[in-house]
Amino acid sequence: MRGGQADLHALAGAYALDAVPDGDRARFERHLGRCEACAQEIRGLREAIARLGASAAVRPRAELKHQALRAIAQTRQLPPLSGDAAGGLRGWPGRPAGARVLSRLRQRPWLPRVASALAAGFLVIAVAMGVLAVGAQHQVDLDQVHGHAIAAVLNAPDAIMLTARVTTGGTAAVLESRHEHSLVFTASRLRALPADRGYELWLMSPGRARPAGMLPRPRAGMIGPMVVSGLAAGERIGLTVEPAGGSARPTSASLLSIGLGP
Amino acid sequence: MAMLLAQVARGDQLAFEEVYDRMAGPVLGMVRGVIRDLAQSEEVMQEVLLELWRTASRFDASKGSAMAWVMTMAHRRAVDRVRSEQKAADREQRATSAEIDYDDVTEAVEATMDRERVRRCLRSLTDLQRESVTLAYYGSYSYSEVAGLLGVAVGTVKTRMRDGLIRLRDCLGVE
Repeated sequence: MRGGQADLHALAGAYALDAVPDGDRARFERHLGRCEACAQEIRGLREAIARLGASAAVRPRAELKHQALRAIAQTRQLPPLSGDAAGGLRGWPGRPAGARVLSRLRQRPWLPRVASALAAGFLVIAVAMGVLAVGAQHQVDLDQVHGHAIAAVLNAPDAIMLTARVTTGGTAAVLESRHEHSLVFTASRLRALPADRGYELWLMSPGRARPAGMLPRPRAGMIGPMVVSGLAAGERIGLTVEPAGGSARPTSASLLSIGLGP
Repeated sequence: MAMLLAQVARGDQLAFEEVYDRMAGPVLGMVRGVIRDLAQSEEVMQEVLLELWRTASRFDASKGSAMAWVMTMAHRRAVDRVRSEQKAADREQRATSAEIDYDDVTEAVEATMDRERVRRCLRSLTDLQRESVTLAYYGSYSYSEVAGLLGVAVGTVKTRMRDGLIRLRDCLGVE
């Protein structure tokens, strides 16, 4: 039915504008699945429409951002879709976007601001570790082991860096590898604590918190890197203030929540 | 942006903050153009950004830019909100002023680099193309409703929407 096809094709503009009733939409999406040229056209029209829409920005009230940040801290994220769901540009499903972020960070000259600063932090730490290890002979063995564990995470094919703010001040970054069942934790500019208190790291899952060690005192504002091994699926990193000797279970709510991979 | 979304997909909150800083303004501006009421528009904007957090792992850069992904998601939500909550009579009232609305909306707002260019490109459309596009986009009308409002045949409106968008795309230099 040539007439039918041409008629369908004319719907591209209305479809891209969300101006089609449901029946037409379903028909057009079936057509899109079979017509790469049409899918290409929709992509182009949507880019143009996005530019139109985005050209009239309104500055949102500042508290909306704080609300949003609170909301995401309590909102579970969906896993990537497995396989490539056929057809639909509408739902825009597709391949996972998450893997290999860090390795791509290293290659791109136009790094996002936050991520690049933190990635650079990791490199500085790695270098500092090497220097310190050489400077203090009796520590070399220990630091070599530590350095090796860090290198294993850094070089893991699935290494991914996650960052979050600590609620009492400062930021934390986690370089995590599911493959190695390990993560490397660093933090910077955490609020200073009295001598009898310290920051304790936790691996948290619903109803359970496993102690993952006390954070060392900061060096030049940076804490860590600390290597945490033996990660289990679904655990999140938590951080609390505890007596300097550490606690067996957290005595307060976590100052931080970074979700680890599924 | 695509790389930021990849980080967001893995739960990176600072990356989300950066995406929020970049996208909240454009999303709010567009949604307000559709919904008009500021409080409701803010609600929808927040929903969109939360949805972005939830579904970032499903963004596929091979199917379009991150900006287009977010704006598409935002527009759909805004339109859904208008269609579900506002009565036909209410929409009737907004119909006549849809083109002026675009100017209204842009006035209250941040100057974006793209703004003048988009306006210039919009002006390069024929009146019927421009009205068809803006009524559908900001008025949340279906193409048949637009045809009724403009008093032209449904087939004509479909064609004008597509031709208008193609002209806009080419004028903006979208690849």
